Amino acid sequence: MAVSFVVNGEERRSAADQMTPLVDVLRDEFFLTGAKAACREGACGACTVLLDGNPVVSCLVPVGMLEGREVRTVEALAPTEELSPVQQAMEEHDVVQCGMCFPGIVMVLTSFLAECPQAGPDEIKTALVGNICRCTGYERVVDAAVALAQRR
Amino acid sequence: MTLADASNVTMNLPRRDARDKLLGRTRYTVDRKHPGMLHAALRRSDIASARIIKVDITDASRMPGVRAIALAADAPGMHGIGIADHPLFARDAIRFHGEPIAAVAADTQAQAQAAAAAIVVETEPLPAVLSMADALAPDAPLVHPEWRSYQVLVEGGVRGGNVAWEATVIRGDTEAAFARDDVVVVESCFRVGRQNHVSLEPRAVVASYEDGRYHIETSTQVPWTVRAMTAKLLGVPAAQVRVTVPPVGGGFGQKFDCTLEPYAAILARKTGRPVRLVYSRQEEMLTCLCRENAEIKIRSAVTKNGEIVGREAVVLMDCGAYGGEQIFLTTMTAHTLGGNYRLGSVKLASRAVYTNTPPNGAFRACNGVYNTFALERHTDEICQKIGMDPLEFRRRNVLGDGDIGATGQVFEGDVLGPMLDRMKRWRETAPSRKSLAARRLYGRATVVGTWFIFVGPSTATINLNADGSATVITAGVEIGSGTMVQALPQIVAYELGLHPDQVVVRSADTDAAGFDLGVGGGRTTVSIGAASRAAAEDVRRKLLAVASEMLQTPPDRLKLASGRVEIAGKEGSGTSIAAVVQRAHEVIGPVVGSGAFTKPGVTAMPGCAAGHFIDALDLPVFAVHDCEVAVDPDTGHVEILSYKVVQDVGRALNPRAIHSQIQGGVTQGLGYALHEELTIGQDGCIRQNSLETYRVPLALDTVPVEIDLYEGAPSIGPLGAKGAGEVPILNVPAAVGCAVANAIGRRVQQTPLTPPRVLGLLLGREPDVDLPHIGDDWWDNVLMKRPS
Repeated sequence: MAVSFVVNGEERRSAADQMTPLVDVLRDEFFLTGAKAACREGACGACTVLLDGNPVVSCLVPVGMLEGREVRTVEALAPTEELSPVQQAMEEHDVVQCGMCFPGIVMVLTSFLAECPQAGPDEIKTALVGNICRCTGYERVVDAAVALAQRR
Repeated sequence: MTLADASNVTMNLPRRDARDKLLGRTRYTVDRKHPGMLHAALRRSDIASARIIKVDITDASRMPGVRAIALAADAPGMHGIGIADHPLFARDAIRFHGEPIAAVAADTQAQAQAAAAAIVVETEPLPAVLSMADALAPDAPLVHPEWRSYQVLVEGGVRGGNVAWEATVIRGDTEAAFARDDVVVVESCFRVGRQNHVSLEPRAVVASYEDGRYHIETSTQVPWTVRAMTAKLLGVPAAQVRVTVPPVGGGFGQKFDCTLEPYAAILARKTGRPVRLVYSRQEEMLTCLCRENAEIKIRSAVTKNGEIVGREAVVLMDCGAYGGEQIFLTTMTAHTLGGNYRLGSVKLASRAVYTNTPPNGAFRACNGVYNTFALERHTDEICQKIGMDPLEFRRRNVLGDGDIGATGQVFEGDVLGPMLDRMKRWRETAPSRKSLAARRLYGRATVVGTWFIFVGPSTATINLNADGSATVITAGVEIGSGTMVQALPQIVAYELGLHPDQVVVRSADTDAAGFDLGVGGGRTTVSIGAASRAAAEDVRRKLLAVASEMLQTPPDRLKLASGRVEIAGKEGSGTSIAAVVQRAHEVIGPVVGSGAFTKPGVTAMPGCAAGHFIDALDLPVFAVHDCEVAVDPDTGHVEILSYKVVQDVGRALNPRAIHSQIQGGVTQGLGYALHEELTIGQDGCIRQNSLETYRVPLALDTVPVEIDLYEGAPSIGPLGAKGAGEVPILNVPAAVGCAVANAIGRRVQQTPLTPPRVLGLLLGREPDVDLPHIGDDWWDNVLMKRPS
C-alpha cells in the first residue's frame, strides 16, 4: 500500500515496503541524496531530517509511519541558492572538511536554534551529541553556531 | 567573507566545495547512480581459520534478481605491499573472520545480500592464532604455511613463519653502551589496541565495463594504486583500468589501499552493467584496515646528566591475516620510536606479525602515534629515574642541526629545540588551569614528536585557457583536508599572477592525470603542490615568451599579476594574460605546462637500516604538545583541561585551514588516547561491530585546542610549505598518557585510558604490561643472525 506524505513542500507517494527506512526512500526513490546513510543504526546523525519540524534520524523511521506527515530535508533549506543562516555561518567559519556529516549537523542546528535562538556553547554541544563528525573536532562547528546565536 | 589577497600566496582562502557540501548537493561515491546499476554484496567467512572444502553457488545463483556471482577463480592474482600474499577471495584457506569468499551482483541490495547468505561454504576448522604472543610461540600454527612461495615485491625485509616482515636498525655498539658503569638502564613496555578510522563515507565503489576497459569510480586516496592492484588481481593490463574519484567523505588512511574495487570490477565485466558495492557500517567496523594493535619493549642506557648512550627496542605490529600496509609501516619505527632524540647507539626491530585476524592498514601518522606514546612515556620514566626535569631532558637531547638520527641521516636545522622553547614560554605565560581540577588529581606533560612528509612521485599538467583561467590536472583527491581546493589553487595562482578562483582543479582521473603516489602521509600539498608549481613555472615561461614579443620587452622584465602581464615598473602598460594566450594560439598553439616531483633522496648511514622502504627522512616534521588533565580518583575519568600545540608547518599557506586540521587531528587522537579501541573475541571476530560499542569523540568531548604554527624550518615543499594534516594526531596519546601518569603517580603502559583502566591503575589492580614474548636479549627477537 502506497504512503503519501509531504517532502520539502511537495506531495509525494512511495510504494516501498512499509518497513523501508525513510532515508532509503529519500535517496533511492526521490534522489534526495543530501541525507547520508552512514551507519543505519541511528548513531551518527548524518541522515537527520525534520519530521513535522522535529529532527529525526531517517534511517530509523519506517516509511509506513509517514502517511500525511511532513518531511524536510537539507535540500529544502536553501531553495533560492541563498544559504540558510546556519549554512552561512558554517561557510563563513570555514568549518567544512569532508562534509559527509554536515547535512545532518545543519538540520539539527536549524531546528535547535529555531527553538533556542540564544543558545550558548554548552547547549549547542548537547544538541549535537547525536552527530558524529570525524574531521573537524567539532570546535569550529560549535564556534560558528555560537556566533550565529550571538548575532540574533 | 574577506577576499583573498592574490598577490600573496598566504591567505585564508575559503573552500570552494563548502557550499555544496552544506547544501547536501555534493555527490560522493555513495551518492552515484547509473541506469541499470546493480548492487553487490560479499559473502564473508564466519570463522577465523579453516580449510575450504567446497563453495556451492547453485541455489544462490537461482535466487531472484541475481545477475552474477564471482569467486576465487575470477581473480587469479595476489596483491600486497612488499609481499604479494593476499588473494582477493579466500581460495583454499580462510585466514580471518570476515574474509570475502564470493561476491554477488543483483538487481537490489537486499537480493544481493540474500543470495550471498545462501552460498554454501563447507569448511574444516583449523587452529587459529589470534594474538601476536600466540603467533610467535615456538609451535604456533602458521597463518601462511606457504609464505616462502609468495612473490616478493620489494627486496630487503627478513621474513619467516608468522613474521611477515622484519625491519631493523643497528647503529653503533649498544652492548658496550649498556655495559658502561656510569649509566642507568631504564626499561619500559607498552601495549596499544586497534583504532578504526570511522570515515563517515564507508568504502564505496561503482564499477562499469565499457569498450573493453574497466571504469572504477571509487572513494579512495590512491587512484593509481587502485588501477595497478585491480589489474594485478584480475590479471589484465593496467591500461585497461580507469579510476576516477568523486569527493571522498573521509579517509584518514583507511582508503590508502585498494580494497573493494576489484569485486565490483569483476561483477561489472560479468554482467555488462554498472555495479555498486558499498560496505555497511558493520563491515567497516569488522574489516576496516585499522591502525594496528602493537606491543613495544624499549630500554635505554642513560648517563646521570641525561645523555642517551644506548637504546634498544622491539616493536611488534599486528598485521592481521595479510601483510598489506603493515609491511611498509615497519619502516616508520626507525623514524618515530627512533626519532626525537640524539642516541649514542641504537638497535631497533620492527616486526609485522601475521595473526588470524582482520588485516590492518594505515591510519593518520600510522605507527607513529603509538611509538610516540611509547617513546615519550619511556622518556618520562628515564627522567624520573635520573631525577631530571622532563622539559630540561628533552631540551638537551632533541635532534638539532647536524645531529644524526637513528639510521644515521644528518638532520638539517634547529627545529625541535626552538619549538620546545616556544612551548616553555607559552606554559609560563598562559595561566595554568590547575584550579579547574578542584579535588581531582592534576597532571601536566609536554611531549615532542617526529613525523615526516611521505614525499614521492607526483605530476601535474596545467592548461592556460583563452579566457585567462588555468586548469590544473593531477591525480590528487579531495578527502576533506582542503589541499585540492585551497593550497593547490593558491600555489598555482601565485605563480601565474591569477586569483585562486581563476584556477580550476580537475578531480582525479587516471585517464587524464599522470602517476601519483596518493593522498596521504601529509604529502599532497608538498608533492602535488611542488609538481603543480613546476607546471605553473613551465606555463609561465611559455606565456612570457609570447608576451615578450607582443610587448617588445625581454621576459625577465615582465611580471604576472592580477591576470595581466606587466612591464616591470610600468604598471598598466602590459596586456591581459587572456590576450597573450589568444596570441599564443596563433604562434605556438595553446599554452600547456607540465611538472613533476619526487623524493630528493636524503641518505642514511650505509649499513644502518635493513628492510626499510624509507632509510632516511626526506622531509621531517616536528610537533610539541602540552596537555593538562584532571583525573577523578573515584571513577578514573580523565578530563582534558587544556591542550596546546606548537606545530612545524614550514610555511603556513592557509593558516585557517591548518588550524582546522589541527583541531580535528587532536580530537581524533584524544579518542584513541581515551576511549577508542577494537578488541578481538575468542572467535577471532572484532567485538565492536557498531558505533554504539565503539565510542568516537562527540561534540561534548570538544576541547579547545590552542595552536601556534611554527614557521621557517627547512623544507623542500613548494614555497617552504610542509604537510599539516597528518601530524596533529601524532603526539596526542603521548601528551595525555604522560599527563595522566603524572597525575596519578603510576606507570601508564596502555591506551586507551578508559575510566576502568585508570581506576585500575589507581587501585593497583591493573596488571603490569611485561610482554614475556619479547626477549630481554635484543638478538633473541630478530630473525637476522647475531654477528659472531
